Amino acid sequence: MEGQREKGTMSRSGDASRENERAGGGFTRRHFLEGTGAALVVAGAPKLRAVEVPDEGVFRQELGAVPRRAIRVTVNGTEHRMEVEDRWTLNELLRDHLGLTGSKIGCDRGECGACTVLLDGEPVYSCSTLAVWADGRAVLTVEGLERDGDVSSLQQAFMDHNAPQCGFCTPGQLMTATALLERNPRPTAEEVREAMVGNLCRCSNYNAIVEAVVAAAGTSKSGGAP
Amino acid sequence: MSRQQATGPVRPMNTVGHNVPRIDAYERVTGRATYTRDVRLPGMLYARVLRSPHPHARIRGIDVSRAEALPGVRAIITHETHQVVYGSGSIAGGRQYNDAAKDITKHRRYMFDNPVRFVGQPVAAVAAVNRHLAEAALELIEIAYEELPFVLDPEEALEPGAPPIWPEGNLALDYQNQPRPTGGRAGDPEAGFQAADQVFEDRYTTAFVQDAQMEPRCALAHWDGDKLTLYTPTQGISNCRHDNARDLGLDVHQVQVICKYMGGGFGDKNGSYYFDLIAAMLAKEADAPVLLELSRKDDWLGTHGRWHTVQDFKVGVKQDGTVTAIQLHAYSGMGPYLRRSGGISGTDAYACRNVERVIYPVHTNRMVSGNFRAPSDPQGYFAIQSMMDDIAYKLGMDPVDFALKNMRRPTEEDPFTSYTLEECIERGVELFDWERRRRPEPGSEPGPIKRGAGMAFMMFRSGVGPSSAIVRVDSEERYTLFVGVTDIGPGAKTTMALIAAEELDVQLSQVEVVWGDTDRCPYSVGESGSRTTTMTGYAVVEAARDLKTQIAERGMPQGDDVLIASATPTPSTEGRRRMVFGAHFVEVEADVLLGHVRVTKYVAVHESGRILNPLPAKDQIRGAVLQGVGQALHEDLLYDARNGQPLTAGYYGARHLTHLDAPEIEVTFIETDDGYGPYGAKTVGEAGIILAPAAVANAIFNAIGHRMKDLPITREKVLGTIV
Repeated sequence: MEGQREKGTMSRSGDASRENERAGGGFTRRHFLEGTGAALVVAGAPKLRAVEVPDEGVFRQELGAVPRRAIRVTVNGTEHRMEVEDRWTLNELLRDHLGLTGSKIGCDRGECGACTVLLDGEPVYSCSTLAVWADGRAVLTVEGLERDGDVSSLQQAFMDHNAPQCGFCTPGQLMTATALLERNPRPTAEEVREAMVGNLCRCSNYNAIVEAVVAAAGTSKSGGAP
Repeated sequence: MSRQQATGPVRPMNTVGHNVPRIDAYERVTGRATYTRDVRLPGMLYARVLRSPHPHARIRGIDVSRAEALPGVRAIITHETHQVVYGSGSIAGGRQYNDAAKDITKHRRYMFDNPVRFVGQPVAAVAAVNRHLAEAALELIEIAYEELPFVLDPEEALEPGAPPIWPEGNLALDYQNQPRPTGGRAGDPEAGFQAADQVFEDRYTTAFVQDAQMEPRCALAHWDGDKLTLYTPTQGISNCRHDNARDLGLDVHQVQVICKYMGGGFGDKNGSYYFDLIAAMLAKEADAPVLLELSRKDDWLGTHGRWHTVQDFKVGVKQDGTVTAIQLHAYSGMGPYLRRSGGISGTDAYACRNVERVIYPVHTNRMVSGNFRAPSDPQGYFAIQSMMDDIAYKLGMDPVDFALKNMRRPTEEDPFTSYTLEECIERGVELFDWERRRRPEPGSEPGPIKRGAGMAFMMFRSGVGPSSAIVRVDSEERYTLFVGVTDIGPGAKTTMALIAAEELDVQLSQVEVVWGDTDRCPYSVGESGSRTTTMTGYAVVEAARDLKTQIAERGMPQGDDVLIASATPTPSTEGRRRMVFGAHFVEVEADVLLGHVRVTKYVAVHESGRILNPLPAKDQIRGAVLQGVGQALHEDLLYDARNGQPLTAGYYGARHLTHLDAPEIEVTFIETDDGYGPYGAKTVGEAGIILAPAAVANAIFNAIGHRMKDLPITREKVLGTIV
């Protein structure tokens, strides 16, 4: 299974290590957070994690001066110019600051794919993508899949084939499948499985999800990012 | 009940029994479905929990002064400031939490405990204006721990001299607070073994499996005066409200529980959880709404999963294959608190009545065990049906013949409402082509890639019982159904609407469902034990019948008038056993040089009474089977024996199934109507997971000729067979 997972859609480079593969970058958030076995189970705050706890004064100073920068990002066709903290992930930007709560956080460490969005048409884990990296780029989320009030044929197929059970992984599954259909309008079931290996479903409704994607591929207006 | 009670074929119906997409499918595919974490309240704070890095330690001191001084931190709570009983976290005997259990339970768990007894146990919590600040504050809390000796293995935990996790020792306490094993004796096991021609003994073990729902647990608490509103993902809003009220010392009506869309259940969430209490206490302290979010790792180590087991079996058989006696001595690893029973099922599926079962639920310093979909079944069925499969081959019998000879059947003393197990097995044999796929000589295929076939069969209870429903109609013929269900995945809302539409003889689109809110909905049993369809669904039938009678007597309401009907039926099956049945047939391909096992064909035949909506019902089985395949081949939580640290927390570490690991599952339903439940519907949700570990393991034996006795059957274990 480990070998198969290395084909994850989030991977860009063929020869990166297994840890790096799943996180989509040269240096992994997961590795960083988990550290040694004895490290604590507190997630997040990677900047602070890596250092010895400083004295109070230093801490206050750092917190008072969280680096920020202005970015321009197009989300679901709307351009936003905003100031973001360097530490914000793309997922935080979308959920907490733009109110787009469709993209979920299942693990916040590049394992599950529930947070998948399209960045310039490519699926990325928004939990492992910094908001500043989206500067000058276009983001598509599940909220942006409907066109003129109509669901996409992929969304329709997901409804017809009962692809969501609890529905928590569904936004991520939809985004990866949308990108797949864009580059391969008629994938086989096996191609769907390979493309979507980075999107876990604990309801394990994998059969229905694959059936839905294959069915959508058989229709005229399959998937499609703007 | 006034229903016809003869088992018979199902009569076609208008709405029920057809493939119907969920009534909320649109919300689910557009990001409009609101989960607890998606709720935003004005002035809401974010909370994080600091957890123990030690498997067993006494807290000698906590210093929160530096964390408190951080601008933006609004509340910090610890065991020193808040001693709140977390009642449902540790219950004598492992029953549902209630007033009696709160009084009896000696091994009481608190929201924050001292000493801490497992890695991941909460020790402090912070609410701050954003989550980065909350996380930064955790880093500034200083805790002095005195590390204590720990124990991870259930058998070692019962040995003399093992580190005591509780003053009474490490054997969990029963309902009377006595350290006693569970189980029982039936018939005359000694006489059964004497009557046997051969006696077989073997040990099987199963691993801990995290429920691992995709939505990490969270809770959003908000006080309005002394009324608490709690948004929390729970499988049962009613139990959740009662549990939290009990622990917080509030009247039940002072607690409103709202469960929005929920990112998966899979068990032991029909009640409260400590993060509800922590969120409530932080919100009180900070005087603001508080959203407590668990990280994936918090969730993995800080909630629960299926108890791991060690099972020693002794089985006596006649030369013709008749089982004469079964003995099970077992250990269930429960972690340091008894959240659930630690039971082990499976012997009930056999006709042999000379049975002794002795099961020790044992405390260890691993994380807490609890219910996961069919809580005691997959681990039990894996062991006993591997054992019986092995005996069948040792006697030179086909496992199907052995099953048909020994499986339980109804008797005059022990009647069933309906019985289709034989039909399930026979249908499976035919659909799977058992004769062709099974190797009479296990492991006989030449070459390193070997195929083989295995099967397993089961029965599982499908209860009937009390639940409530309210239905209202207005002058525009809009029907509103109030049911206290949550929708954790199977589609309860849709099922309830289908039943109402059927009974009222109206279009599904005329029915609106109000759900998931204790202030708006009547009591429901909650989505555990696969009971919602059978119990709450039956209440919907009765309420709809009442409404129809009212409409017939008084006509449809006019203007602003409405008609309302409610029902709280308490049906019973008059002493008859109401069960669902199933048989699974699996073909695997095992590569003994690489250790890889691949499922190449999987046929699941089930009888769950009438299937109300085949579309999601099929996926309940398919998804459950795949979870079971994960339990068979992948999932585990390994600990470092040297320091008690968990090593494989998370989807990646536990090697959860991906799209590429998931074979296609073929599902067949045999439908019956036994006259109970709504239109003869029985349990579906849990039934599918029970057989996969046993059937996959038996197929691996048939392929490679080596009996795999320890779950998960990983690559190195398969490779180990060729050494």
